Amino acid sequence: MIRAEDLLSKLIDAMEDPILQEGLRRAVKASVPATNRALQSWPYLTELADYVRKRKETVYSNIDYYIDETLRAIKEKAKANAYFASNKDEALKIIDSIIGNERKTIVKAKSMVTEEIMLREHLTEKGHEIYETDLGELLIQIAKDKPMHVIAPACHLTKERAAELLSSIGVKVTKGMDAEKIVPEVRAFLREKFVKADIGISGANSIASDTGAFFLVFNEGNISLATTLPPVHIALISIDKIMPTITDAFMQAVVQSGYAGLYPPTYIYMIAGPSSTADIEYHRVYGVHGPRELHVILYDGGRKEALKNPVLKEQLFCVKCGRCEFVCPIWNISGNVWGGRVYGGPLGMGWTSITEGIEKAAPLSMYCLLCGACKEACPGKVDMIKIARYLKREYIEKIRK
Amino acid sequence: MPLPIKDVLDMIADNTRRRGCPVPIPEKDAYGWADGLNIPRGGETVLFTGLLYQLIPYIDSLVKYLEGMEKTSVGALVMKLGKVAGKVIDVTKIAGPPRERVGEQSRIVRNIAMLLMKSGVSFGYLYEDDMYSGVLLHDLGLDDDFKEHANKVYRKLKEKGVKTIITIDPHTTNCMRKVYPEYIDNYDLEVKNYLEVLSEKEIRGKDLKEEVVIHDPCAYARYEGIIEQPRKLLAAAGVKVLEVPDKSRSMTFCCGGPVESLSPSLSKGVAGQRIEQLTSMSKKIVVMCPICYSSFLRVKPDDVEMRDISEYLAKGFLEG
Repeated sequence: MIRAEDLLSKLIDAMEDPILQEGLRRAVKASVPATNRALQSWPYLTELADYVRKRKETVYSNIDYYIDETLRAIKEKAKANAYFASNKDEALKIIDSIIGNERKTIVKAKSMVTEEIMLREHLTEKGHEIYETDLGELLIQIAKDKPMHVIAPACHLTKERAAELLSSIGVKVTKGMDAEKIVPEVRAFLREKFVKADIGISGANSIASDTGAFFLVFNEGNISLATTLPPVHIALISIDKIMPTITDAFMQAVVQSGYAGLYPPTYIYMIAGPSSTADIEYHRVYGVHGPRELHVILYDGGRKEALKNPVLKEQLFCVKCGRCEFVCPIWNISGNVWGGRVYGGPLGMGWTSITEGIEKAAPLSMYCLLCGACKEACPGKVDMIKIARYLKREYIEKIRK
Repeated sequence: MPLPIKDVLDMIADNTRRRGCPVPIPEKDAYGWADGLNIPRGGETVLFTGLLYQLIPYIDSLVKYLEGMEKTSVGALVMKLGKVAGKVIDVTKIAGPPRERVGEQSRIVRNIAMLLMKSGVSFGYLYEDDMYSGVLLHDLGLDDDFKEHANKVYRKLKEKGVKTIITIDPHTTNCMRKVYPEYIDNYDLEVKNYLEVLSEKEIRGKDLKEEVVIHDPCAYARYEGIIEQPRKLLAAAGVKVLEVPDKSRSMTFCCGGPVESLSPSLSKGVAGQRIEQLTSMSKKIVVMCPICYSSFLRVKPDDVEMRDISEYLAKGFLEG
């Protein structure tokens, strides 16, 4: 068991770090009103959030069936390769076998599940050349940092720090450049990587069990390039993203982006198979402009086990919009420093329990205020207070034995 | 240096088990507020203070003591050596609270009782059998200790023939209304909060012509849905209420109080953020919870005026 006291030292350091504080302040100031405006302007988002929760209940009441159906649909309907990975090692093994041993260039979409299995670190170690293509995540990659928020991973870095990090990998930026100057340089730098990449890797915001089609929400335009330009696309999708139908899956993407305060998102991209044409003599040929191969890996990583725990199960109704982080007073002063290796803030207590184990998550709960802003903000009405209380009890039982 | 959690928890659990309260409080400071009000002893409907308002100055002193520990390396030393010199936290070393703070809290409870009387509510008081709810044990995750304490409190209330309790702070209200039933078989006490009771009465007061920014306590706004009642009452007393945009009502922002016993620094950090939000609206803040009050008191600038809601209500409805 990690001691809560050690965590507290880090929280206090975070509180005294002026750069982190300024970054968090800016992120909160921009995001909280943006989500509120979206929910006011489009009241159907709140209704859809309820609907999405109900459809997830349907899936969770029969998870094995929905996993099987999704795998079957990926193969039969989407004409893609389907895999199931129970844990990190299995997922990495599957991905290694798809990529092969030769050194490859890989472009990546931001994906929390790939963080869970430490995919970037693994592929780097294997000798591949890998680029995160989401700007925030690219900064995290270079800094060897952890994401500070579930959708705004680099919200704690200043433009000076961003420029410094980017120039270290050869992006033509200098200190003192504004975001307006930095972005075109990143575009130029990554454009070349997109074109030469052998493999594109992504996660997904949702996947439909009736078709194997999956949805990706993004704003930079990077994900369509990363999943379309390379000849091979690998998607790693956790089983909590499964929705019964293609419309349900779309709704989940809509809800996620609405509650993230980025509504409408610039892009919602649906992928339902490899690229193909039958325009010459009705003969189907794969890999026209998009990938000729699509590999979809459904990933468990502790989720099926969590479904058996009535308290932790709640967290699986989370669509990872990150709104709970922005409204959480403790997150407001510490970011994801208050978190596990991958997930932080209020959602981080439940997700860390599921993906890293209760012993890693329990100390986090000791500094939860139980104020309930998270639950109030959550589109899935996830009872994070209940999760926090449960983890506090677990922690106390261990230390007071 | 981070505080040793286990020792803080042991101390709080131990005190509550032996003395009924997380920190010791002299009897006169717990029940003395009722002196001279002639509230009947006992009855089916009683004012149940849960002692939270009265305890706050003593909890403040504990937090101050813990803050001292947190800021020095004592904690580190103790954790390395173990409990060589007995208990890490020595409650006898905690300085008593300033009398002024104690008096302030007594006045708040007294005002609330007088407001209820003035609006025609009949109720009794249990005096030395008025008890602490145990809410802190529950919030810290000390479930077994909480269960034991809650059952003790409940048995006493039943023994006294109490059927309805009127509570005066958000934490006791939530604890007695929503938490106790989860830990006590066949729990059947009716729990009313004084703001709910008062807002049902058509009371009229004088026009105070004040303008304040409101801080909703989490436990009222989110746990109990008590949002409109304080606004209605303040409006009736001629107090105009300002709200922090995006961070009011059910989206209110916590005062930081709940972590004060595990980390005074973290608690202050949260309180500082909230004070900044509130003071961007007004230099006059109205609070409704003794924990919020003391959290803000630790960080608020001197030119910021903060009052418990009952003070405005007392001025509006009791005076003149």
